[in-house]
Amino acid sequence: MATAQQTTKASGTGDRELTEVAFDPITRIVGNLGIYTKINFPGREVAECRSTSSIFRGYSVFMKGKDPRDSHFITSRICGICGDNHATCSVYAQNMAYGVKPPPLADWIINLGEAAEFMFDHTIFQDNMVFVDYCERMVRETNPGVLERAERTPAPRAGTHGHRTIADIMRSFNPFEGETYKQALVMSRLTREMCCLMEGRHVHPSTLYPGGVGTVATPQLFTDYLVRLMRCMDFVKRAVAMNDDVFDFFYEALPGYEEVGRRRTLLACWGCFQDPEVVDYDYRTMNTWGNSMFVTPGIVVDNKLVTTDLVDINLGMRILLGSSYYEDWASEETYVDRDPLGNPVDRRHPWNQTTLPQPQKRDLDGGKYSWVMSPRWYDKRTGDHLALDTGGGPIARLWATALAGKVSTPYVRSTGRSVQIDLPKTPMTPETRLEWTPPPFPNTLERNRARMYFVAYAAGMALHFVDQALAEVRAGRTKVFEDFKVPEEAIGVGFHEAVRGVLSHHLVIRDRKIANYHPYPPTPWNASPRDHYGTPGPYEDAVQGMPIFEENSPENFKGIDIMRTVRSFDPCLPCGVHMYLGGGRTVRESHSPTFGALA
Amino acid sequence: MAEIKVGEPHVRPDKAAHVPGVRQGNHQGMYKRQPGHLPDDTSTARRSTGVNSEAKDPILPGMPNLSPA
Repeated sequence: MATAQQTTKASGTGDRELTEVAFDPITRIVGNLGIYTKINFPGREVAECRSTSSIFRGYSVFMKGKDPRDSHFITSRICGICGDNHATCSVYAQNMAYGVKPPPLADWIINLGEAAEFMFDHTIFQDNMVFVDYCERMVRETNPGVLERAERTPAPRAGTHGHRTIADIMRSFNPFEGETYKQALVMSRLTREMCCLMEGRHVHPSTLYPGGVGTVATPQLFTDYLVRLMRCMDFVKRAVAMNDDVFDFFYEALPGYEEVGRRRTLLACWGCFQDPEVVDYDYRTMNTWGNSMFVTPGIVVDNKLVTTDLVDINLGMRILLGSSYYEDWASEETYVDRDPLGNPVDRRHPWNQTTLPQPQKRDLDGGKYSWVMSPRWYDKRTGDHLALDTGGGPIARLWATALAGKVSTPYVRSTGRSVQIDLPKTPMTPETRLEWTPPPFPNTLERNRARMYFVAYAAGMALHFVDQALAEVRAGRTKVFEDFKVPEEAIGVGFHEAVRGVLSHHLVIRDRKIANYHPYPPTPWNASPRDHYGTPGPYEDAVQGMPIFEENSPENFKGIDIMRTVRSFDPCLPCGVHMYLGGGRTVRESHSPTFGALA
Repeated sequence: MAEIKVGEPHVRPDKAAHVPGVRQGNHQGMYKRQPGHLPDDTSTARRSTGVNSEAKDPILPGMPNLSPA
């Protein structure tokens, strides 16, 4: 669990007294994330926030010159938990570049693998990581008054999940001993097995290729998947009810908690789950097949859907600098000046980016302070460069899908204002209809609430994909791979959803080798620093101005509300945290396996 | 390029993407060479075994041919 300590008293702005508090590293990210804040303890709010990362990966540098057919195997290694999302996205980009359309069964198999990945990753993150911040032991340390109230508050959905009071639910979240925590680990095993059935391995798939998959499609493959999926269903239904109870309780017990992590609605979703009947991976028809995806791509600004057109989304992407340790690439080569539809492509678009690292000292006062660049989306209506976030993935996916009203399957459908999910009867629970409706604005609790609804969404979709895949197999159409030739020159782009949000891979091939390759996963969007216009990144924006509800004094401040907010964006895996205690004294806490024994 | 000091590279980053003449699994026309995979996107038991595979095909022509992995 991340903790922070007071460092130095900074001179206040106006009559405020600001205290610098640093959380570095928060390592629920591949690499390293630091949150540097200035807190106004008397006013109980966070006055300023800077998000920094001190790791440089360099995929866009070393991918150059490699065989493009290797790119999904290499880029899968970007992440140790959602590598298959990268592999899938890279495969999509390659399909476009090679001009190959895989057989329908191959796309159903990829969809099934990815649905399992969403179920796996969201469950393990929510129940084994996020809920550590909401468990009984943590709430006892940070808000004893809230726990005392939770003991007295009956759980409204006790009939579904079986926990009598809210405190009982919180106890089930306790790490290593709580029932929900342990059940989630069992679920993660089942869902990983589902992913392995379809993609050969988890996290780095061995049977995904451009042109199709290497998975041998047999009836047994899909029934093995289905058996595991149905075993997860009881857990999913109970988990959604528990989530709703706990998050509703926080609103009730801490009036004003909706302001924690509140941010203007600037959500991005690049869509996932291709429809094999429509998709041909051709850029010129990208709008058509993008809109047929089973999670609709879209950009939601101020609660309105701005676009669902992947071409618009693609052309609006801008990679800005300003607070990042890179040289500008304005004088470097332009790889793509027009897209295949003839639209001009900006110099700051990933297709034209050249990564020029420039290591330097971190300067949090108006200088450069992060290795993360600042991806923005150019809104041609207003001329603004919007700092879109993914809200950890699910909230953006559900919001875009709900408003677009394009998804209609037997188990999951979009109504134009909400998403309805029907899950069938399973041994422990009856048939259940879940409905997710966009909240008035995104905040910490709503980002977390959407996560478990999306697990249900993925489970419902997986049922549909199994039906469709089995229909192909029963008809005897077992082909899962299409031949292709690597062209001398080509460009491609893959749009997909990594578990924690938007994912794009931009590829340029010259001389049958990679000339330029730029993956843009969700974390650069969410963790981006201030760009050269001074626009803060989403973490910074969400934390800045946030009220503090923690009952602890500044001396033993844990920063739980800040941590809940940053973690609501799902910044990858937790490993360790160290505390910075002013005066140069550094205390390290490595990992948290003994957390349960500490309190 | 960026002005940072780096050591001697251990590999040539522009190594040949592909050696001409070596067969590629994705080559156009490879599908029809795969035993048991038919042009109409269906397959036979030959994709699973080379031993007396005909005997393992369906007994009626209307049945789908679903060989094991």
